[in-house]
Amino acid sequence: MIATLAAALGLTPDDPAFWMPMVFMGLLLLLIAAGIVLDGFDIGVGLLLQLAPSEMRGRMMGLLSPWRDANEFWPMLGLGLFCAAFPFAWGSVLGRLYGPLACMAVGMMLRSVSFEFRIRARTQHKPRWIFGFWAGSLLTAVGQGAVLGRVTTGYQTDAGYGWFAVFVGACAVAAYALLGACWLVMRVDGELQRRAVSWARHAIRWTAVGMVAIAVTLGLANAGVFYRWSDDAHLGLAVAVWFVMLLCFVGIEMLLARLPGKADRVGWLPFALCVLLYLLMLAGLAYSFFPYLILDDMTIWDGSGAVASMRLVLAGAVIAVPVVLVFNVLAYRSVFGKERRALPALPAP
Amino acid sequence: MDIPPLLLARSQFLASFSFLALFMAVALALAWMLLFFKVRARLGGQPGWTAAYRFWVRVFALCFVLALASALPVLIQLGSLWGGLMDKIGNVAGPLVGFGVISVFVLKSCFLGVMLFGQRRVSELAHTLSVLMVAVGQLLAVGWLVALHSWMQTPDGAALVEGRYQVYDWMAVVFNPSFGWSLGLTVLGAVLAAAFLVLGVTALQALRRPLDDGERCAFRTALVAAFVAAMLQAPAAAGMAELTGRYQPAKAAALAGYWHSGDAPCVVLAGWPDPARQRNRAELSVAGGGWWLGRDAQGGYLGLDKFSGMQPPVALAFWSLRVAVLLGLLMLLAAAFTLLRLRRRGLDPAALPAWWQRGLVGMTFTGGVAVVASWWAALLGLLPFVVNRSVTQSEILGPTGAATLGYGLAAYLALYGLFSVAFAAMVLHAARYGVVPVRKAGAAP
Repeated sequence: MIATLAAALGLTPDDPAFWMPMVFMGLLLLLIAAGIVLDGFDIGVGLLLQLAPSEMRGRMMGLLSPWRDANEFWPMLGLGLFCAAFPFAWGSVLGRLYGPLACMAVGMMLRSVSFEFRIRARTQHKPRWIFGFWAGSLLTAVGQGAVLGRVTTGYQTDAGYGWFAVFVGACAVAAYALLGACWLVMRVDGELQRRAVSWARHAIRWTAVGMVAIAVTLGLANAGVFYRWSDDAHLGLAVAVWFVMLLCFVGIEMLLARLPGKADRVGWLPFALCVLLYLLMLAGLAYSFFPYLILDDMTIWDGSGAVASMRLVLAGAVIAVPVVLVFNVLAYRSVFGKERRALPALPAP
Repeated sequence: MDIPPLLLARSQFLASFSFLALFMAVALALAWMLLFFKVRARLGGQPGWTAAYRFWVRVFALCFVLALASALPVLIQLGSLWGGLMDKIGNVAGPLVGFGVISVFVLKSCFLGVMLFGQRRVSELAHTLSVLMVAVGQLLAVGWLVALHSWMQTPDGAALVEGRYQVYDWMAVVFNPSFGWSLGLTVLGAVLAAAFLVLGVTALQALRRPLDDGERCAFRTALVAAFVAAMLQAPAAAGMAELTGRYQPAKAAALAGYWHSGDAPCVVLAGWPDPARQRNRAELSVAGGGWWLGRDAQGGYLGLDKFSGMQPPVALAFWSLRVAVLLGLLMLLAAAFTLLRLRRRGLDPAALPAWWQRGLVGMTFTGGVAVVASWWAALLGLLPFVVNRSVTQSEILGPTGAATLGYGLAAYLALYGLFSVAFAAMVLHAARYGVVPVRKAGAAP
């Protein structure tokens, strides 16, 4: 397949102009996946703050803080790589996403500033910053969902498409809330866990609706994508992916129904299944789009910069990737499993 | 109301960029000041240096958080407002933006956590090194940003081929003619912004109560830094002015308020440039001062009439420069006289009369305003181009409608206002009641 693709572009597979954009695309997908999963549970917990009783909110934000520094940088890295590696697609894509991106940018700013300012604020001001974190999470989730909605409908601007973007935005809120709730289910016990289970069971339906809507729209709005998923060679794959996704949904729902209780020993499984579900969805989207950045219009080779510029960006990536890996292995090594709280010191006799 | 999208996009980008530039500048200079406190504390001597570090690291953290958060909208707006920009300069700007993001990432992930939350867990030497690396990393990040900005002012090392810049010399791109002066002015402006913040806050404390050692140490450092930076600003500004005349005659003429090419040039101190009549109203000027204006082949001065239809927004650029210069002079005078007055009193602000201390409190944000004003002069003077004399702003404007841009602008402005108020309130609260070190549960090792 690689050789055919290269031949179609009139390049050899070992030509930097051919393989560099592929490497960048791979890196970009990894960053997006990390953003969805790792920044995702962060957004999800933020979304649930207003549902929780006020005395639990501080604890929920405290649960996030070990990973906060790592989580909040994924979108920035992703955008930076996209800008540096595909400069000629940057404006065509972002220029048509002003509204959703402004919503997302405002939300992300509010999130990161609220989180850090809350730690340093006076006690009586902390609830305001918690509210800011919630509002920022909501705007971020709606913005990211709307970006997805606009991208899958080919950036069309008629009124109906706008409402579709809003609908996907709402489903993205549900999806992040599900991820955040599953993370809480894994992370804590007691009252907060019971609440998280109930939030997750509410969110899961809307997540499923959103995923089906995205898939159906992508297939119906783009003949090329529909063909790619339904021709004889790939039909088996498509059915298998859908079957696994269905199993994930059913599995999460069944586990949540038994939590807390019989399923306590596999409390991490809903979160893991949820991550698998989102990664599969991202893989499906990537498979549908490849090799296009803008469907049927601009390929990753059209969008990438000159070879000399790409070489510099790649050199930068070679420096950054090990740092990213080492730092994140250190930061995330304890992201699974129960919260470890220091035992309270015994009162002095 | 019918506001053109171009104006809305300009205002929005200018607002976002100003907010970023302001907090980035203060964070940069505070980081180097903190390094100085830290090194002095390690070398022994007065115990005050540790206290100074502990207080000002809080303000630094607030500034850094704001700068980091506001970098995201600027990056996004680079694509969503100016949809055609990267299509033209992507080969140049792509790697520069990428390096900037990588610099910030490495400094934040490897060193900032140790600096802010790890003081007890690592050795003193390792902590000092992490402060150093945070300072260096910020300088690098600012360096990449200034490289891109100055390249757009004086493009070099790349040629426009079929509508896209192709780079033939990367060294010439980064070290373009205006890079040095631009970086110098950015750093000096940052030092002034941070130093006057320190002076103002310490003077406020001195008005309320006797100062402790740490506050006196911070005041001394900031006073000397402010004086040196204010002195160095003059040659740097002169160098930049001469360069502007050579490479950007339209910008030089706009900043000088020089309309007609034949006239004898003069220094316009005040007045209101009126583009409709192509002259200054209520002009107040003194003779001379044409040395930095652009010249044509015969040696005649180039006025704005040579660039009709392609003039920058003269009045705004003209006044931005005057505000920046005026504040620069004011800060120089304030620093020099304070230094003179306190030179035999151990640079102790408690020895100043109350009205003097109040004056310093009033000047707390002058450095910050001067930073914003000088960025405005630089950015507005470049208009209508975004890359000097080759790419105009109207040709790269994205397809977004005026209403959407208006809502976006309102949302960004509301958020920037909220953050500024919160920042000022938290700094004032800390100045009054001191800071309690914060812990982040299990922050990165």
